[in-house]
Amino acid sequence: MRLLMWWSGRALSSAATLLGVSVLIFTAVRLMPGGFAETVLGPFATAEQKAELATRYGLDQPVFMQYGHWLAAVAGGDFGISMISRQPVGAELLARLPVTGELTVLAVIASALAGVPLGVLTAVRSRPGGGGAAGRLLSGLGVSVPEFVLGSLVVFVFSRYALGLEVGTWVPFTRDPAANLATMVLPAAVLSVFAISVTARTTRDAVLGVLVEPYVTAAVGRGESPWFIVRHHILRNAATPVVTLLGTITAYLLGGALIVEHVFNLPGVGSYIVQAVGRRDYAVVQAGVLLAAAVFIVMNVLIDLLVGVLDPRLGVLAGRRS
Amino acid sequence: MRKLDRLSIGGLVCLAVLVVFALGSLVGAGGEPDAIVGPRLQPPGPGWWLGTDNLGRSVLPRVMEGVGTTLLLSSVAVLVTAALSATFGIIAGYRGGYLNELVMRLVEVLYSFPAIVLAILVAAVLGPGQTAALASIVLVTIPLMTRLVRAAAVAVSQRDYVTSAVISGAGLPRVLGRHVLPNVAGTIAVQGTYALSVGIAVEGGLTFLGFGVQPPQASLGVLIQQGGTYMIAAPWLILGPGVVLVAAILAINVVGDGLRDRLEPRETRSLT
Amino acid sequence: MSLLTVRNLMIDYAETRALDGADLEVAQGETVGLVGESGSGKSTLGSAVGRLLPRAARRSEGEVVVAGEPVFDLPADRLRHLRRKRLGFVFQDPIASLNPTMRVGDQLRLVLGRGADVGFHLGRVKLDDPRVVRSYPHQLSGGMAQRVAIAMAMATEPELLVADEPTAALDSQVREEVLNVVFSLAAAAGTSILWLSHDLPAVARRCDRVAVMYGGRVVETGPAREVLGHPAHPYTAALAGSAPAAAAHGVRLEPVPGRPPVLTGPSPGCAFAPRCPFAEERCEHERPQPVRVGDQDVLCHRAGEVAA
Repeated sequence: MRLLMWWSGRALSSAATLLGVSVLIFTAVRLMPGGFAETVLGPFATAEQKAELATRYGLDQPVFMQYGHWLAAVAGGDFGISMISRQPVGAELLARLPVTGELTVLAVIASALAGVPLGVLTAVRSRPGGGGAAGRLLSGLGVSVPEFVLGSLVVFVFSRYALGLEVGTWVPFTRDPAANLATMVLPAAVLSVFAISVTARTTRDAVLGVLVEPYVTAAVGRGESPWFIVRHHILRNAATPVVTLLGTITAYLLGGALIVEHVFNLPGVGSYIVQAVGRRDYAVVQAGVLLAAAVFIVMNVLIDLLVGVLDPRLGVLAGRRS
Repeated sequence: MRKLDRLSIGGLVCLAVLVVFALGSLVGAGGEPDAIVGPRLQPPGPGWWLGTDNLGRSVLPRVMEGVGTTLLLSSVAVLVTAALSATFGIIAGYRGGYLNELVMRLVEVLYSFPAIVLAILVAAVLGPGQTAALASIVLVTIPLMTRLVRAAAVAVSQRDYVTSAVISGAGLPRVLGRHVLPNVAGTIAVQGTYALSVGIAVEGGLTFLGFGVQPPQASLGVLIQQGGTYMIAAPWLILGPGVVLVAAILAINVVGDGLRDRLEPRETRSLT
Repeated sequence: MSLLTVRNLMIDYAETRALDGADLEVAQGETVGLVGESGSGKSTLGSAVGRLLPRAARRSEGEVVVAGEPVFDLPADRLRHLRRKRLGFVFQDPIASLNPTMRVGDQLRLVLGRGADVGFHLGRVKLDDPRVVRSYPHQLSGGMAQRVAIAMAMATEPELLVADEPTAALDSQVREEVLNVVFSLAAAAGTSILWLSHDLPAVARRCDRVAVMYGGRVVETGPAREVLGHPAHPYTAALAGSAPAAAAHGVRLEPVPGRPPVLTGPSPGCAFAPRCPFAEERCEHERPQPVRVGDQDVLCHRAGEVAA
């Protein structure tokens, strides 16, 4: 019961944020140079097309009614028609979603599998006064190389020298899983570099924070071995900031996917948005941005739920004080 | 106060070198960015230490100029962010109430966008260019910094010296200016450095996609984007600006870490 | 052979000196109260017994010997074995000393081993309510949590239990219960107790011997009754005189004038000299050596004259 109440509170709050996001996007699209009709229909629209658009989007009505129309349309799954391809935007987004999804999921798995152990290790071996400079430099490097730089370099290396992996081709997973993974390895790796480094750094900070807690000292005083302590005391207690971070990383990865898809020429949502901006296909831009924000918001709600379960002190599932 | 450790000092030195580079480009050191000095697409060598581009221009002065543009743009943006975040964060944190709710809600909306996506949206509205790049950096970095400043302001406003200042009749500006701000300044400084590195990366990404700084203006992002076209034949076109960009971001992050360690030093324990 | 021997221990943190030549002995089966104000170094000494100091701490001199083994010179695995088998620790903040994300029963089982009878051990510390096993630490009261901590520390039947102000965070009613549990369990198992506290009369009531700390050194040790009744060190005398519980009705309480020192290096003379009513010239620059007065060992140049 408590869980339900807490969760509905969170869901409402997120819905409010999503609404705010939609207002922002709506305003942005309205402010784009060229006027709405022209941006949606292109510069060669006829008067009739413009009139039809005006009625459909209620452009002769006050602004917030227009917003209402737009919101209703979006909620019903109607994201408009792509100016370039003349296809419904919703369908095109759906078709491209698996690529971006696969890329993001691979990167998140890599962050968890590589970043967390790395963070724990560097924390347990740290010395006062900020020792372990090599580790910090390495993870610092990982955080400091933007994807477009790394991606370009990787594309260069693998295009110029035949190293077994091809760049610029893509095969759908359903057609040939092995070939698909071969094409996804490099882009996912580039996308993961930052994510792994940030995860490692956050995990390190979280573990260091836990290391000085009295219950860890008590465990050391009982003669428990370092790995026993890590396993039973540290991991679960350092988990909250790390799990929260994985939620934030999703946002970062969604953005990074944009660039990586562009550089590696993958048919995902990200490259779709980038192309659309260049071609002033604003229906697509609007839909893509809304989708990205919505995914992030939903991720965060799920993460909050997970954190509530993990930390009994937050009292979401645990009982009341006796 | 402990000194900054060696890594952070290294970072500061690196940054200083980059700033010198940028200033050097103003006086023409390293060559003219737009002058054609030799054959096209030459690898690094005497006369053009970072190679030449597709028009025969030496890459070195272009990188120097690019560093200046990138650093200047991002620094200005972060200063704007710092000013705005400080204002909103302190007011929200200290005052609380509906002001707090409003600020936090706005911040949360902004924070829901992945950075590049927000930047692209801004560029779509404002049109590609320097202004869009600047505005993007500001909007991308404001949410996190405002949140952190607000949290720090909340903590500070509950301290006794603030309560006693208020009780002894200090006016709001005085309380904010003399008691809250100095203690929040540390957070602003540390987060400001991280925001700077984020800003540089965002500007680079936006420009790389074609929506940020536009040629003939050169930022490091422009150079990398232009170099991409000729990458296979002339990798130095990317390597030069790329390495410099990474060095700048790395140096800033390292300095940020050092600042954070100095302002919030941690006790450590061993597990043996 | 004594169970614990601390000999001339000197420990520094970055800019302050916590221990300036501390000596202490605890025999098998004996209960010792270590009394001192905050900053006297008693927590550092207690932690040093198990080498539980933060990384920033540096030992410049002296040694700690537990059951014949030199604590600071042991390799990691021998040290862990020593902690596991011979030592037990109870800390000041009971709830913080338990893992917040693990139920109490699971934590006990972790310490005792899988097949252990958790209920029995909780019963020994008078926690018979079956809900305790399923609770998380933050759901317990301070007294209950401390009893869990005691059960965990005593689970392996250590030879020495170090209790660092175990009742400081507890309500006064609960304090006596917790102390009863500690002392009865220890007596039953033959465990020695080193009880760190700032409360001289309370310590003297329950312990066999009392040690008084000031300025990073143990300035007086002896049988509890003697130290409380006939203190040989000026500081002990002042402490006894300023304690509300020890005062007779109608007697004026005399606070100890001045402030405890914060050392930055070895003390050139006696650390108490600036506040001592008996101080003479040589107290400023000559470090006192242990002197025997009756049954007590005292660090004072004028030891014999103080005990009146």
